[in-house]
Amino acid sequence: MKALDITVSPAPHCHSGARITGVSYNFILALIPAMAMGAYYYGFDAIRVIAASIASAMIAEALIQSVLRRPITIADGSAAVSGLLLALILPASVPLYLVVVANFIGIIVAKQCFGGLGANPLNPALVGWAVIRITKAWAGYLDFDLALINYETGFILQYPLAVLKAEGPAGIAHFGLMDLFLGKQAGGIGSSAILCLLVGGIYLVLRGTIRWEIPASFLLGVVVIAGIFWLRNSSNYASPIFHILAGNVMIGAFFLSTDNATSPVNRWGMVAFGFCCGAMTVVLRAWSVYPDGVIFACLLMSLFVPLLDKMKKKQLLPPAVSPVTPQAISESAEVRSAS
Amino acid sequence: MSLLSVFTKGMWKELPPFRLVLGLCPTLAVTKSAETGLGMGLAVIFVLACSNVLVSSLRNVIPRKVRIASYMVIIASFVVLVELASQAYFYSIYESLGIFIPLIVVNCIILGRAEAFASRNGVIASALDGLGIGLGFTLSLTVLGAIREILGEGTFFGAQVMWSSFRPFTFMVEAPGAFICLGILLAVMNSFSKTQQS
Repeated sequence: MKALDITVSPAPHCHSGARITGVSYNFILALIPAMAMGAYYYGFDAIRVIAASIASAMIAEALIQSVLRRPITIADGSAAVSGLLLALILPASVPLYLVVVANFIGIIVAKQCFGGLGANPLNPALVGWAVIRITKAWAGYLDFDLALINYETGFILQYPLAVLKAEGPAGIAHFGLMDLFLGKQAGGIGSSAILCLLVGGIYLVLRGTIRWEIPASFLLGVVVIAGIFWLRNSSNYASPIFHILAGNVMIGAFFLSTDNATSPVNRWGMVAFGFCCGAMTVVLRAWSVYPDGVIFACLLMSLFVPLLDKMKKKQLLPPAVSPVTPQAISESAEVRSAS
Repeated sequence: MSLLSVFTKGMWKELPPFRLVLGLCPTLAVTKSAETGLGMGLAVIFVLACSNVLVSSLRNVIPRKVRIASYMVIIASFVVLVELASQAYFYSIYESLGIFIPLIVVNCIILGRAEAFASRNGVIASALDGLGIGLGFTLSLTVLGAIREILGEGTFFGAQVMWSSFRPFTFMVEAPGAFICLGILLAVMNSFSKTQQS
């Protein structure tokens, strides 16, 4: 029988060199193209939101850690990453107090109250976004059609998913798929720059910062479920390619759902997690009141992570004593009767 | 225990929602504004004080085996009184509290005080205990309701208190806002009592 394939050895151990700081700065590095794209289209407004978001996330973390008398860890960059991710899914015109409130709730309530980095069940950036999104009086600031009305960018400033929700697939015919892919679409500061996010995401996968299973199965989930909808009734539902290229799917697949604390640790758990995120995204897009469902899908699936962590191959322990078989018993009986 | 401490323990040492963590269902549900919190609290003070007095005066008559059922009958009678009175005289509060007035019957604070205090102590002490605990409950609900109303609606007892361009943070008057607000208040009070002890 095969024994457990684990080697337990005494110290000293060899450290791989991976640190939280390195992970965070890899994330930031991978997001620089998307940030640059946002700054190019929306100018100073985008830079303003990104700067305010990173600053308020770090201030919130330092503040709550000094109140709770924990070591202050803003230098590891995890708060900066969550602030940056929040900024990239917001429209450039968003008022700064919204950004501050979202970051404070995300960092203090969703992260530090649960025990800080690694112990948070939900991604703080997504919780912050969800809080300001479900606040009715503020929802208008996050409606891309209203928020981006005063910008001149050279492409159609209608949020493709809102058009899809309002008019069905007939309304989205004038969005070229190539334009969507190149980031020429209304949306968040960074979340609409599909190509840049893809490049950054592949960089993260190659560096080993994120695992490839989650983004791949996320995109697969979107394609499969959107494909089923589309094949059943293509006059009511958009094509899978459109679903991948519009809205938050790309930033969700590579950056929002792959947060280490809020995704499973096993390969098949990751695959199930990503696939369900993608599937839930399409379901929310098709049937909910919200135009995009990526963030709610990621939040929902993060709650299943403790369950998905149990999805691993059953490992057999080696038997402690040699098993007693009926054959052995009869043999010993024969020996005894013969003697 | 002196009568004064029987009365004042409801204000801090046994403050219902925050120190005993009892009666959370109405605490979360009816604190959308300071007014509904106060209304709920006053109803609970009345029911709690009256039921404590009655339970205490009948404590040697009620057979031990059916005591819970007897307490429920006593409490339910007073709740019906409150419900009909508020329907007649305070209709707007009656409408905003809705199902939570009849649900005072199953409020665990009231049954808890009847079982833990009124069935073992004299009438005057039980009355003071009911008033004190009820007052603490009212204060907690009003404070929680005021915080949620000021942030979530920009008003305090219906009067505008924030600046005119204030866009209310309506998240606070929704259900998740209640949980987060209650949790933060609990954490603050726990850390306060910890520093008090040490």
